[in-house]
Amino acid sequence: MSDTLADKNQVDSSKRTWLVTTGLAGAVGGASVAVPFISTFQPSEKAKAAGAAVEVDISAMKEGEKVTVEWRGKPVWIIKRTPEQLATLKKTESQLADPKSERKPDELTPAYARNEARSIKPEILVAVGICSHLGCSPSDKFQLGAQPSLPDDWQGGFLCPCHGSTFDMAGRVFKNKPAPDNLEVPPHMYLSDTKLLIGEDKKA
Amino acid sequence: MKKFILGLIAALSLAGAAHASGGDSIAWDKAPNKQNDMGSLQNGAKLFVNYCLNCHSAAYMRYNRLQDIGLTNEQIKENLLFTTDKVGETMKAAIDPKQAKEWFGGNPPDLTVIARSRAGQGTGADYLYTYLRTYYVDDTKATGWNNLAFPNVGMPHVLWELQGKRKPVYDTKEEHGHEVKVFKGWEQVTPGTMTPLQYDQAIGDLVNYLQWMGEPAQSTRVRVGVWVLIFLLGFTFIAWRLNASYWKDIK
Amino acid sequence: MAEMKEISPNAPAGAKLLNWVDNRFPLSTLYKEHLSEYYAPKNFNFWYFFGSLALLVLVIQIVTGIFLVMHYKPDAALAFGSVEYIMRDVPWGWLVRYMHSTGASAFFVVVYMHMFRGLIYGSYRKPRELVWIFGCAIFLCLMAEAFMGYLLPWGQMSYWGAQVIVNLFAAIPFVGPDLALLIRGDYVVGDATLNRFFSFHVIAVPLVLLGLVAAHIIALHEVGSNNPDGIDIKAPDAPKDAAGHPLDGIPFHPYYSVHDIMGVSVFLMVFTAIIFFAPEFGGYFLEYNNFIPADPLKTPAHIAPVWYFTPYYSMLRAITSEMMYVLIACVVGAAFFGVLKSKMAGFFKLVALGASAAVIAMMLAIDAKFWGVVVMGGAVVILFFLPWLDNCAVRSIRYRPDWHKYLYAIFVVNFVVLAYLGVQPPSPIGERVSQVGTLFYFGFFLLMPWWSRLGQTKPVPARVTFAAH
Repeated sequence: MSDTLADKNQVDSSKRTWLVTTGLAGAVGGASVAVPFISTFQPSEKAKAAGAAVEVDISAMKEGEKVTVEWRGKPVWIIKRTPEQLATLKKTESQLADPKSERKPDELTPAYARNEARSIKPEILVAVGICSHLGCSPSDKFQLGAQPSLPDDWQGGFLCPCHGSTFDMAGRVFKNKPAPDNLEVPPHMYLSDTKLLIGEDKKA
Repeated sequence: MKKFILGLIAALSLAGAAHASGGDSIAWDKAPNKQNDMGSLQNGAKLFVNYCLNCHSAAYMRYNRLQDIGLTNEQIKENLLFTTDKVGETMKAAIDPKQAKEWFGGNPPDLTVIARSRAGQGTGADYLYTYLRTYYVDDTKATGWNNLAFPNVGMPHVLWELQGKRKPVYDTKEEHGHEVKVFKGWEQVTPGTMTPLQYDQAIGDLVNYLQWMGEPAQSTRVRVGVWVLIFLLGFTFIAWRLNASYWKDIK
Repeated sequence: MAEMKEISPNAPAGAKLLNWVDNRFPLSTLYKEHLSEYYAPKNFNFWYFFGSLALLVLVIQIVTGIFLVMHYKPDAALAFGSVEYIMRDVPWGWLVRYMHSTGASAFFVVVYMHMFRGLIYGSYRKPRELVWIFGCAIFLCLMAEAFMGYLLPWGQMSYWGAQVIVNLFAAIPFVGPDLALLIRGDYVVGDATLNRFFSFHVIAVPLVLLGLVAAHIIALHEVGSNNPDGIDIKAPDAPKDAAGHPLDGIPFHPYYSVHDIMGVSVFLMVFTAIIFFAPEFGGYFLEYNNFIPADPLKTPAHIAPVWYFTPYYSMLRAITSEMMYVLIACVVGAAFFGVLKSKMAGFFKLVALGASAAVIAMMLAIDAKFWGVVVMGGAVVILFFLPWLDNCAVRSIRYRPDWHKYLYAIFVVNFVVLAYLGVQPPSPIGERVSQVGTLFYFGFFLLMPWWSRLGQTKPVPARVTFAAH
């Protein structure tokens, strides 16, 4: 006979036991298979190697000089600020959206850069040269005073050509501009007085 | 019917025998299996970088993968990085491929998966172990060297300083009506810096490393496999009982 | 608007949702027709696991294939490196790769077993001829899919195997060389070939395969499954219960879903044992030579196709100029037989004689190389005709004369011997044996209309052979 259940009202306990057990075991098996497959989405060793930290020799940098290096496909600016440029940082504070870099600190400003100069060594600024609005690379505007798209009391900094956001000499964004955040300070550390490593810091 | 099948089996075995007698090169020695010996693998890595990377590349092998055989990134950087200064890069040869072709007649092949590609009579490691230990002086060759496992090879004996110069010694035998040279042993012409035993151990390490480099995931593969099979054994039991719980109703 | 089925507003949400879908899509109908009320014979044995296993392997190949394509580069200069990239740099990439390479060989093991089941139980006979034909088409597509997939790693075996097989097409008279050029997209196998094989392997053939598999299952469900006894459980005179369901049948779901889960589990044990402990499988699943990047200037000492093609490869190699005379003798023999013994009208006999004469003339004029290709292709094509070659009164081997069983056993041994010889380098003895083997293979099928009628069949029972367990 091909009757399936002897009594349709009684639940067959052995079937139920094994159904539940199989279901659980199957779920465990399924998850275990899914994990390696989803892992293949993670950055490969090749991507990680390409994104490895970059060493920069800053011994030859002159005051006021800006060097750009590539890290993880992004431009990273290293600027040896002059004492005058450092002095402008206090003057711009009232015009800034986030003068103390309190917004998104874990993303934009590591602990060692949560200071006025936003850097480890006061004169060397390390910042990612990508505007926090829509990703264009701001232009250098180190000259003081009035210029097109800049206010009359411009203290020096950066102007993003795409939508007009401005940043000061510590990469901090001005108020009422399209860009919401300060420029990102990437993880970095000094291997020596002249060797800067961008992409890694002592915590990593 | 039975005779036909027996005849087929006879034909099969004949064909098999004809094939097994090997080609024009010698039988392979067995490479020592030291896949779990980190010290051996590390020594092999050192020998590889010092002796092989000058001409051969291992273009798919990243330096920082050597962490899997117990080295730290610092150790790798200090002792093994010659052709590049980044530990995340792959092992490229020091030589220019065009010059290599000029000097050797062909670009020395990439060695990343050499141990996987040479299997046959035995494992690829067996072949490489034999090959690196059967070089002999031969004035008729451009490099001055020939090899029993790979006759007329274009590669010189880069490890000759360790092994020294040797010549094979033959016995002549009568076979099928003509003379055949049978390999008997080696004659050491000039000594190397290593004794034969030390050299064999060094080559064992080097070949061990090459076997590892061919598939760095192999130890993970086996380890994970044990768990997978244990799980599936359990699952099969569960599936079997599930099946029985339904089929007991079918008369 | 069609009449919608109503459901009580007090019904649970799930039931209401199902009702909404059922009013717009035959979900419950399909479920009942193909699963919970598809009655399959209750006496399925070991040989009946391989259909669902084939479906499983198809899914495995598609899923692993999708993940491989995320990292593989179909460019002659980058392909080999991209496979090593998957093996080393992609997290768990080595596992995906091994699953796909083992899956390819597993597919053929499973499909050969599945076809053998059809052979011994007469599953190809009326009314299941179309099921069989769709299956043969699937087999053909599978061979194409595997062949093109094998080029993608761009190793020495990949390259030279493709070169040899594409050159076979050049052996076709008149159109051959142009056809080979068209397939390759270049004068030799190269980047153009790689790219188009990639497209076919990843998109075109899988889509065709999925369509054919659907057709195969639909055709099966239309007439119902066969069984090891060859009895028709749904025949008008077969016993049925009060609801009209065959007494010898059981609903596919849950009985065979649960049964197949068990089969899948055992299969996966073997499958994973190979993947994790012996992925190269002695050089048969991952050939050693393929770890050398393709070199158009250096042919390896020993080219052989992958193991699942070797029976047909043996037949190809067996057709030498010598063998042509044997084949011509066979055609002459067939012509004589057709004229003297068959019951065809005189006119058709004349046509047959004329055709034979034409064929013999071509066999003398055209190179043995071409006929080797014909024989190799013919060995697969002849399978399509099996439903019309079998004249035995009974379907299943269980009720055929005993010597039929030995004949099938020899067929299997012959096939395996041909496979083995295809892996070996050519040798005089190997050549002879494969020539005999080829003749046996074709004789088995072409003479089947005659030998299947011989011998005393055993009485076929009215009910299936089943012991409760």
